[in-house]
Amino acid sequence: MRIFASQHEFAYSWEEVSTNNWRKYCAHNDKASHVLAVDTLSRSLDATTHILRTERLITCRQSMPQWVKRIMGSDDTSYVYEVSYVDAQAKRVTMCSQNMTWSELLQVQEKVVYTPSVEAEGHTRFEQSARIIALCGGWQKIKNSIEEISLERFRQNAAKGREGFERVLEISRQVFAQQREEARQQREGVAA
Amino acid sequence: MSASLAPECNDVKERYDTCFLKWYSEKYLRNTATTDECEPLFRQYKTCLTKALKERGIDQMLEDAKADNKENDAEYMKPVG
Repeated sequence: MRIFASQHEFAYSWEEVSTNNWRKYCAHNDKASHVLAVDTLSRSLDATTHILRTERLITCRQSMPQWVKRIMGSDDTSYVYEVSYVDAQAKRVTMCSQNMTWSELLQVQEKVVYTPSVEAEGHTRFEQSARIIALCGGWQKIKNSIEEISLERFRQNAAKGREGFERVLEISRQVFAQQREEARQQREGVAA
Repeated sequence: MSASLAPECNDVKERYDTCFLKWYSEKYLRNTATTDECEPLFRQYKTCLTKALKERGIDQMLEDAKADNKENDAEYMKPVG
């Protein structure tokens, strides 16, 4: 088993981060080219707790070493199942995802939590953790290698993911500021 | 927003995504949402998607993944604090 854990602070409010979290894999994000599609499977709002629960299916394509392809099968397309819980009152987003493809051989479970930063106001804390386990029967050495490669790939994707998300947040803020400015000019144009 | 795995669902998906983002940022985050107003659009998108998932043989894989997720539901559907 391999464990991955990291934390990061985004210099954006929890509201901005949790909103843009839904658009992370958009066309502006060239760091997320391995994500081919994101589909929403279900969405429900709990009447009592107001927790918003969403299930999504993420379709990815990633290259991998030849020898891994031979063991796992050569299709580069993989599917990830993600469930997220947004608690707007507590200001907390929790996202749990796991691979569906090759799950009988390799299990990658990821958890991401976004909460307002305790260090800086208007910032958001991002905590990410993952568990990687190779289940395939066979030599321990092969299992270890598969886990190591997966962990390294996960680490690279995590770094790209953060960079890409920073870019999405930046663009979103610019667009929002532009829209507010245009609205202000319109109001003043009408008032004048 | 990103594309659907089924290109035939892209249009209805985009309409749903746009509705959701607006509802999410203007109502849900301000704690003024009482219902999911985008539900009718979602149902249209879901009809298209369900058919596509079945055609691609992904539906069974999904049922297995959902069964695995029961523990997460138990933990994260409780309000914090």
